[in-house]
Amino acid sequence: MSSSEPAVLEPGKAGPIRRVLTPIHGQLIVAAMLAAVGTMLTLVPLAGIAYIAMIVLGDAAATAAAQVQAEIWWTVGISVASMFVGMALVSVGELIAHLADNRVTHHLRMAVANRLASVPLGWFTSRASGEVKQAMQDDIATLHSLTAHFYTAVGRAVGAILISVIYLFALDWRMAVVALLPFPGFFLFLRHAMRSGNANMQEFVARLGRINSATVEFVNGIPVVKAFGTTGKAHDSYRKAVDGFAEAFVGFTRPLVKAMAHAHAMIAPVTVLGVVLAFGAVFVSQGWITPVDVLPFALVAPGICAPLLLLHTMLHDLGSATGAAQRVLALLETPVLEPRAPGQQQVPAGHAIRFEDVGYAYGEAQQALAKVSFTLEAGTVTAIVGPSGAGKSTLARLLLRFFDPTEGRITLGGADLRYIDSAQIYQRIGFVLQEVRLIHASVRDNIALGRPSASQQEIENAARAANIHERILALPRGYDSVIGEDAQLSGGERQRVSIARAVLLDPPVLVLDEATAAADASNEVAIQNALSHFAQGRTLMVIAHRLDTVMHADRILVLEDGAIAEQGTHAQLLARGGRYARLWAKGGYGQNVGASAAAQVQPC
Amino acid sequence: MLKTLIQLLGDDAPVFRRYAWMAIVYGVLCGLTITALVPVLFHLLNNDVQRTTPWLSALLAGLIVCWVLRRYVEQAGVRVGVAILQGARHRLGDHVAGLPVGWFTPQNTARLGHVVTQGMMAVAQLPAHVFTPIIAGVVTPVVLVAALFVLHWPLGLIALVALPLLASTLALTARLSQRADEAFHQRFADASQRVVEFAQAQSVLRAFNGEGGGMRLLEQAVEQQRLSGARLIWLSAGSAVLNTWAVQAIFAALLVTAALWLNEQLGGDLAASGITAVVIALLLVSRFIDSLLEVAGYGEVLRGARGQLGAIRELFEVEPLPEPDAPQAPHDASVELRDVYFRYAADEPDVLRGVSLRIAPGSMTALIGESGSGKTTVARLIARFFDAHQGSVLVGGVDLKQMSSAQLAGQISQIFQDNYLFTGSIAENIRIGRPDASDAEIMDAARLAGVAEMIERLPQGLDTPVGEGGVRLSGGERQRIAIARALIKDAPILLVDEATAALDAENQAVIAEALARLRGRCTLVVIAHQLSTVAMADQIVVLENGQVVEQGTPAQLRECQGRYARFLAQRQAAKGWRIAPATSGEARV
Repeated sequence: MSSSEPAVLEPGKAGPIRRVLTPIHGQLIVAAMLAAVGTMLTLVPLAGIAYIAMIVLGDAAATAAAQVQAEIWWTVGISVASMFVGMALVSVGELIAHLADNRVTHHLRMAVANRLASVPLGWFTSRASGEVKQAMQDDIATLHSLTAHFYTAVGRAVGAILISVIYLFALDWRMAVVALLPFPGFFLFLRHAMRSGNANMQEFVARLGRINSATVEFVNGIPVVKAFGTTGKAHDSYRKAVDGFAEAFVGFTRPLVKAMAHAHAMIAPVTVLGVVLAFGAVFVSQGWITPVDVLPFALVAPGICAPLLLLHTMLHDLGSATGAAQRVLALLETPVLEPRAPGQQQVPAGHAIRFEDVGYAYGEAQQALAKVSFTLEAGTVTAIVGPSGAGKSTLARLLLRFFDPTEGRITLGGADLRYIDSAQIYQRIGFVLQEVRLIHASVRDNIALGRPSASQQEIENAARAANIHERILALPRGYDSVIGEDAQLSGGERQRVSIARAVLLDPPVLVLDEATAAADASNEVAIQNALSHFAQGRTLMVIAHRLDTVMHADRILVLEDGAIAEQGTHAQLLARGGRYARLWAKGGYGQNVGASAAAQVQPC
Repeated sequence: MLKTLIQLLGDDAPVFRRYAWMAIVYGVLCGLTITALVPVLFHLLNNDVQRTTPWLSALLAGLIVCWVLRRYVEQAGVRVGVAILQGARHRLGDHVAGLPVGWFTPQNTARLGHVVTQGMMAVAQLPAHVFTPIIAGVVTPVVLVAALFVLHWPLGLIALVALPLLASTLALTARLSQRADEAFHQRFADASQRVVEFAQAQSVLRAFNGEGGGMRLLEQAVEQQRLSGARLIWLSAGSAVLNTWAVQAIFAALLVTAALWLNEQLGGDLAASGITAVVIALLLVSRFIDSLLEVAGYGEVLRGARGQLGAIRELFEVEPLPEPDAPQAPHDASVELRDVYFRYAADEPDVLRGVSLRIAPGSMTALIGESGSGKTTVARLIARFFDAHQGSVLVGGVDLKQMSSAQLAGQISQIFQDNYLFTGSIAENIRIGRPDASDAEIMDAARLAGVAEMIERLPQGLDTPVGEGGVRLSGGERQRIAIARALIKDAPILLVDEATAALDAENQAVIAEALARLRGRCTLVVIAHQLSTVAMADQIVVLENGQVVEQGTPAQLRECQGRYARFLAQRQAAKGWRIAPATSGEARV
């Protein structure tokens, strides 16, 4: 999949639609040609009727009745045959276009997925998952009207117009000119409509944006306003936005509708018939043509209307498809984590981790971390503490390469994280974060996510280490129970499944974001036991919210405003009487230290 | 489909009816105008240009009327569109505003947002782009059938019989692809869910992608979607072919009938007028077929329209909480649950099974229990996120169902995880709790919620805009402003969920302080997580599997050595947890 991805991205200057459609361009052209030829054939019966009329009304008396009969049957036969064959060709064209659509949408979805799998993880945190779904599912589905319908619609319109024009001009060029008069008229009105539409476009788009954000606020805010009994608040701005939009919509469509109605009336079959008959009568009275000559024009000229209208409808849809194509392309061009040339790949030697003058800024101005340097020696416990917003979580996420530092570098076993294959990183650095993510799959698959080939025994051992084995066995289908279906687990139980998942990978380095804050009492103990067990003998980096949990760490880093303010052991830091000492005093841990007897109550 | 549209339009339904009638009249008029070509051609073919003129004038007059009418039809269509974009959006807004708070899950909220914006926009364009051509395309042929009867009755009869046959073919082919269509939508929804998971769980998927496992599930779902899409394409291509072939078979039948008749005439004596009539009839037949083909081509579009309207119907079908006709005001700040049963969905087990509970006004109650024991549900039922499935919930001695939503809202304030902020300033957001609060009062609330310092540091202070949904603030700051908003309300009853609201140490401290200050001043119901909170309570309620298993003062429960005592021990143990230095060799933790 990823090898074909550049095919979509390559043609630099072409419009978004062209670029999205490149892989199936050939098939769409074939589909359009089939539709064109098919449509030409479906118009044959009209000429057939005209021909029959000609022979029965013209000089029928002159020829033998039998010959005329035969000719009528031939005409009917050919007409019916071409009609069915023509429609079959059109159908085949439509089928090809639809199948091409099926293929290209699948291709695009996978291309987007593959692309997103290598963008910085931070990209996901700044976006709602709904946006990704919107682009990958809904936007790509919107392309349907373009891929599956547009090309064949063009084929049909071109085929119909081409064959009709040729046929009519071959019969009589003067009648042909007047019979086709309404069609240029249609385009004139259409252009007028477009122009009057564009005039109010900006206002319309602005209102559209306003109603979209008012709606977001309204639907998200309802629970809040209901709780405060002030339902009017969010409702009012929603109501105003709705009314404002309706007003803009009317302003936008009124001139448009007038011109469009004229355009549509212009190519209504009635109009075309009227024009043909009126001029036909004039031409006959002038003796330029015979009355029978009018018939082919009355039959064939109105046949152009339907395909032309279809084409117009398709053009209307093209606008939304273009927007969708642009969004999909933008997604395909999301910057990925700095690409590594194959030769630059580095393999870490050992598990020591060094932060070297690391800085990270969200966006332009928000500096989350600046000039942070420290080393996690293999086999030691390092705790990160500090007030919320100090950058603790950013530090952990940089180490996990959720995003890359904007300054400085982080090394694992001497190799820059950016040059290590990501699979290699996660084999060495495991993590258990506050936010637990299980996927909609069996418990077994969830634990074995990182090692699908793990044996049942290994999976169960990991589950045992995470204190969750017994609970899993109690589920309706044991390890085969599906998360969210028959495996309804509590937050703490989910956390333990995620620990089992990390245990199975057996990483030498472990990052813990104090993972127990939201768990229940019994779960919290179970999780703590699991973590204690898991942490043994590994290099540990702990993000601590409660200072007392990390008071025995080998080293405590105190972060403040994105920089290391202090570091040392608990005793050293207390003795210093600085920030840590103040935080300690403020946290009221005093009594706990006294009651550290409690620590011995617990099993490990 | 029409029913949903009418329901959606509500009071504006006459606008749609007027539009529909106009479209029908337009179709009839088009048919009549086309019929006028019969005498025109008749005389023309008889080389009688003189007698053509009046009929030709009639035809041109009809054409002009059609033209003008077309404009009115389209304008009426736009009026229907505006009625949807304005009236129906208002109606949907009023409807969802009455839905139980519990309905607003992230999925439902996203679905609602989509329907209100894109869904309504698509439906609003249906009259102009879909209904007008279909109505005209159906009505015009009916008029032409009448004309055919007059010209040559066998052709008229075939055309007449063809109409119901064609209608049943269309219905049949619609059903043919319906199952595949449903299957496709199911797969599409599955794949969408995987995409959401792919985005949300990206960190995990990537970290555990050692053997390419991270993409596997998404790949499978997208592949399933492709397969069901392909199946749908084959089936709907088949239906489309059947539809057009049905129309063409009618055409062929008419053509052959005409040819048969003509050949018979040619064998005998030539009745010129009869032959002319048949030739003209064939011209009408071509118009008749053209219209029907156009209608047959709208199958896929109609299916899409049905889907859009279906999504709207589903929203209207969600039952709002009933409001009493004669609301009763609560007498005091007490809370009572009487034998309450509740489950989240009909096919799920009961979450609460016969919970009875009395909370005296001004007392503090701590709810404890394992997750899934039902304590969150109890708090939600008191705030009327949902109605109890059985039994009753009373506030101030009055059943919630007998209270207006405004009365209940005035009685209860809540600190849950919901921290949505509105576009506007910090002050405006806090003032939602009490619209007439002065700036000084707002600062007091902010101080209690622990955001006063942050606000004072901001150059614009209380007037600092928070951005859409509060994006300019950090998660913790948003939550504390939401707490200030709940505190300033000063309601007689305060519900607090410590487990979700006290995620970080700062929020924990804020909540502990607020509880200590409010204790005795209002009724407090707390889903308790911290030992200090539990110890403060006048009453502790221990829930297990949706039932109250222990209830009493902290001292009483400590005595009886039951679940509460175990809770205390576990809490103590958890609190004493230390991460030990790995270097100490034996990992004593």
